[in-house]
Amino acid sequence: MDRRKFLGLGLAAAALAPAALQAVDFRKEKPDAWKATTVDDAIKALYGDAKPTANSAITLKTPKVASNGGAIPVTIRTDIKAKTVSLFQDVNPESAVCTWTVPEGGVVDYSIKIKMKGSGKLTVVVEDTDGKLHSATNELEVALGGCEG
Amino acid sequence: MGNIKIKVNLEGDVAKAKIMIKHDMLTYDQAAKKGAEANFITYLTGKVGDKVVYEISSSQFLSKNPLFKFSFPAAKGDELTITYTDLKGGTESDSKKVK
Repeated sequence: MDRRKFLGLGLAAAALAPAALQAVDFRKEKPDAWKATTVDDAIKALYGDAKPTANSAITLKTPKVASNGGAIPVTIRTDIKAKTVSLFQDVNPESAVCTWTVPEGGVVDYSIKIKMKGSGKLTVVVEDTDGKLHSATNELEVALGGCEG
Repeated sequence: MGNIKIKVNLEGDVAKAKIMIKHDMLTYDQAAKKGAEANFITYLTGKVGDKVVYEISSSQFLSKNPLFKFSFPAAKGDELTITYTDLKGGTESDSKKVK
């Protein structure tokens, strides 16, 4: 191999390395966000004062009526180059559901199952690599609450 | 042990992963009713080698026996390692090769 190319590869590898160290446990980093009882407070605790703007490039998919509040499938997709993605809802005792840290070059195509106490609104906030916040919301009905109070 | 089920299939250059974990995910309210201690998964990572491909910090509001689905760029033979930590500090880890 050409020496110059070889060195270039080494540099590229070195540049990639910090991405692996990016791991952030948001429960340790931002403990307040998980105790916030309103969506706005939770977003503030997690992202500071920046206000998210609605963006149609985010797909937040939920059933319109969830028969079982104990396991509601939620799918989040977006093409925005995201750094973190967070999910909030407004009926449970606390608002934050979860936060993803999107690895470099990662695909934002997440599905999870969540619990909701009753009918309410889901909010997803996407922080892009420039630090701007984008959001999408979705209302859904829950036939049978899943949090048992 | 054996509480993590991993399915990961390659589609083109993107692998689709489905992670099922047996976990009670007791919220504080549920735990108070049952007289048990709240315990839920707080942090979960998916790694291929040293590279993090999936990372989630979660609260009590994931469902019981939660299911995580996600995609990541991968090649055949990559090994996906899933590790979770719960509120009590218990951790568990399992891995599977990309098919």
